[in-house]
Amino acid sequence: MKKVKIIAGICWAFAGLILIIILFPGLNAFSVSVSKLSFMKLNPRYTGGEISRQIISENCTLDIRKPVFNGFLKESNSGFVQMDWRGTLPERFKDSIDYDNDGKKDFCISVNRTESKSDLVGFNDKVKKILISTPTSYGWAARVGLEK
Amino acid sequence: MDNALKTAVMRKSFGKSLLYTLPMILITFMFISGGKPNFSDPASGLAMLMVFLLVNVLYFLMHFTGKTDRLRAILFIIFAMSLSYTLIHNMLEVRKSMSFSEADILECKIPFCHLVIPMMILPAAFTKSIIFPGSIIGGFANISSMVVLWVVATIVLGRGFCSWGCFYGGWDDGFSRFTKRPVIKKISELWKLMPFAVLLMVILTAALTLMPTYCSWICPFKAVTEFEQVTSVESATKAGIFLSLFGGLVVVLPVMTKKRTQCSFLCPLGAINTLSNKITPFTVKIDKNSCSECYKCVDVCPLFALTREDIKSGKVSMFCSKCGKCVDACSKQAIHYGIRGIPAGTMKNFSRNLFLFVSFLFMAVFSAGSIINTFHGLLKLIF
Repeated sequence: MKKVKIIAGICWAFAGLILIIILFPGLNAFSVSVSKLSFMKLNPRYTGGEISRQIISENCTLDIRKPVFNGFLKESNSGFVQMDWRGTLPERFKDSIDYDNDGKKDFCISVNRTESKSDLVGFNDKVKKILISTPTSYGWAARVGLEK
Repeated sequence: MDNALKTAVMRKSFGKSLLYTLPMILITFMFISGGKPNFSDPASGLAMLMVFLLVNVLYFLMHFTGKTDRLRAILFIIFAMSLSYTLIHNMLEVRKSMSFSEADILECKIPFCHLVIPMMILPAAFTKSIIFPGSIIGGFANISSMVVLWVVATIVLGRGFCSWGCFYGGWDDGFSRFTKRPVIKKISELWKLMPFAVLLMVILTAALTLMPTYCSWICPFKAVTEFEQVTSVESATKAGIFLSLFGGLVVVLPVMTKKRTQCSFLCPLGAINTLSNKITPFTVKIDKNSCSECYKCVDVCPLFALTREDIKSGKVSMFCSKCGKCVDACSKQAIHYGIRGIPAGTMKNFSRNLFLFVSFLFMAVFSAGSIINTFHGLLKLIF
């Protein structure tokens, strides 16, 4: 039994040695495999959610994302909707958004890029306040807080 | 006499040490230079050469002198400082600031670090998603690569990751070496259970808020890496917490106690690595027949992993990070690196050689990129 333990221990140690030796040359391949696991995708709270609609105008595109209400075990009562403006943006712009696709505008957001100021006018009680409104590498992004 | 006896057993001749270093020379040459050293940019080539020499000289000296801890610590501390330099340099170059903005979070551009891993577990299981604004694959410090590196290192080294792989550990390891004698000598050992409480707290709060709460509110290393832009009372409070914890647990307490207090009392990943010590092939063993119960090892242990009771029972606790401080301090060679299954007191040299090769190789290759980057930056600054 003692000998078996010793041999098993040495085998385990050499397996560790091999693992470390192949770790770095194989890191890219291992990482790609890990990235394909079902849970290896960013939570919508970070990505902003899937794009629900795209409004294309002359110089820029507005992506309206699906509202994000996700929670740990069940959906949360409070969430947000993210909008991304891409392309060449004017100094001031204003858009009315229908985030739930019910045919009625839910809020109007206006952005003054020069002064980094944003204003929100909600057309119903579900729309709360601007959570984030910031310049990005692709243009501008804003998150508006919502309640169910 | 005792030290002479120990040194005679562990140290090797120049030729034998060189022979043991050869595989490390070959492998690090391949990893550091990619097999083709490129000197088209002299500063970059020189930085690469300096790192290659540094790691191999340190590894050679581990065999030649028979000592582990101080030589390990040199690379470990340089690694911690280089990583901070690399991150800060990257932030300053890309964003002109050490802080990240809301846009960086929205665009998921935050570099990932292994301390997030405990907080990812429950949300990954229940929401099938990762709660971190980083990149899953590709780009600097992506989530998949860091997870792979940490999982493998933890399986192979257990809590050894905290002394041979963690790019933050070098900070408190370094500060714990500032004074010759500790100013504060008595610290309750119960504090070493604190990381388990922190772990539980951050796992639960991260699951409930779907936010990496340790990174957002507690991590002391935000002070030497990157943190949220101070734009509100909340972000100012966070910055205050990061700086206070860094000052207290990473600088002041390690200097006063000669212990790695952040690693011992706060780090939630350290708690997980402590548990993984149960499966790792490499351990530290106590040969009760050789032990004179002088308890020098207990005094020098930086992570409160050894108690007098452990020495009497002949078992090192699972808190051990295999740093080698106790091994170097033992004049009887009664405490030594071992392999699971091999009885204490036997195959000491074989176990040490194998453990050093595995752990040092991991640290050398893992740290090489940031250290080269730092040396390159310094060389450009000088010339």
